[in-house]
Amino acid sequence: MSEKPSGLDAIDEGPVPSDAAGPAPAGTPADKDSHPSVSALFARFGAAVLHHEVSAGDEHVVHVEPSRNVEVLGWLRDDPEQRYDLLRDVTAVDYGEGRPLQVVYVLWSIPHRRALRVKCLLALDALSIESVVPLWNAANWLEREVYDLFGVTFRGHPDLRRILMPPDYAEGHPLRKDFPLRGRFSRAEQTRRALAQDVERFYTQHDIEIGREPQQVTLAPPEPGDARGSAT
Amino acid sequence: MGLTLPGGGVSGRTGGMFGVDSPTFLTTKLDFVVNWSRRSSLWPMPFGTACCAIEMMAAFATDFDLSRFGMERMSFSPRQADVLICAGRVPYKLAPVLRRIWDQMPQPKWCVSMGACASTGGVFDVYSMVQGIDTIVPVDVYVPGCPPRPEGLIYGLMMIQEKIRQESLTRHYDLRAEDPARVAMPRASDAEVVGLTGPFGNSTHQDQLTDGGEVLARDPDDLIP
Repeated sequence: MSEKPSGLDAIDEGPVPSDAAGPAPAGTPADKDSHPSVSALFARFGAAVLHHEVSAGDEHVVHVEPSRNVEVLGWLRDDPEQRYDLLRDVTAVDYGEGRPLQVVYVLWSIPHRRALRVKCLLALDALSIESVVPLWNAANWLEREVYDLFGVTFRGHPDLRRILMPPDYAEGHPLRKDFPLRGRFSRAEQTRRALAQDVERFYTQHDIEIGREPQQVTLAPPEPGDARGSAT
Repeated sequence: MGLTLPGGGVSGRTGGMFGVDSPTFLTTKLDFVVNWSRRSSLWPMPFGTACCAIEMMAAFATDFDLSRFGMERMSFSPRQADVLICAGRVPYKLAPVLRRIWDQMPQPKWCVSMGACASTGGVFDVYSMVQGIDTIVPVDVYVPGCPPRPEGLIYGLMMIQEKIRQESLTRHYDLRAEDPARVAMPRASDAEVVGLTGPFGNSTHQDQLTDGGEVLARDPDDLIP
């Protein structure tokens, strides 16, 4: 029997994947033709689109191969029939018991007034996925938050560091199911570490300023029938 | 105690300070005058982080009007403040900020911990939350409530005033001395932090380590994995 890691090693180790746990809670499977973007996704990407379900009434969820997330999401953003130009949220769900961690992209198409959720399932021992910051700048802080709280590494992210927890937080990633609710250190240790922080180091003007970089906006050219295009 | 007129003033007649025949000076105790002026012009430093701050603002606004007690002015600069009112929950990330504001306030200074979260952590018995600001700064008055009503805050501040009334300049050093080496350090010792923040209620089933007065060492090997 291998020795259980202790101390800070155990923190880096994270949860252990499990095959014993049942499937994560899911919505009801749906007909892929009930949502135009879903049928188009199945037609175009085939094997990369793993599953389609509906949850909370009319929220369509598509499970996508994690290794092809940028390809699929980029197509969803740029294809004239899809145009998911608004990234509402990037978040993650840990259902615990060793189940894969789910990274969720919540999309909205302003021209077509249509919503779609895209999920990528990551095994707990390989929490790494390509960043979508090149597609939507909105993903920058959202992916930092997912990294901070779940420990998912976003490859290619321009500035991947903690955003909510203190920069030198050493207890791990708090929203994982294996994280004890009151933290890993004693309250005395937490208090001491908190007061040892250099406030001027992380409350700098650089962090407080918002919008110091102008956002790069790339829009597909307006279509003839697009109300927004004809209005101008 | 209080103002005393030597020789006794004659009332019912006009002129002078207290009547025609009254003296133009009065005697009192230095402690009384100093404490009276201190307690009548407390400038609060509002450290509002959550819903308690809404009630604190209500206490400052016209309906409750804290300026009746000499607290006309919110002192948003800690250098000119007398009372730190910590209204709301304080996460560990904010703890050094709270401590620095306290360190920046000049003596004499007092602290009110307003509401359940500031006093004990409240329902937030979690990884990110300070379990009572008395582990960080010394607290004079705890105002219970979630959030307390403005009357509660006013009563707490009146208790501060009562506390000031009983102070004496002869004990100034005992009351007011600060150790420069303790700047930006936790107010409570490790054992005290553990005692103050132990799990209670529903949180007893959580698998963190604080039992008895046991204090973990800083050695990472001693951390609970």
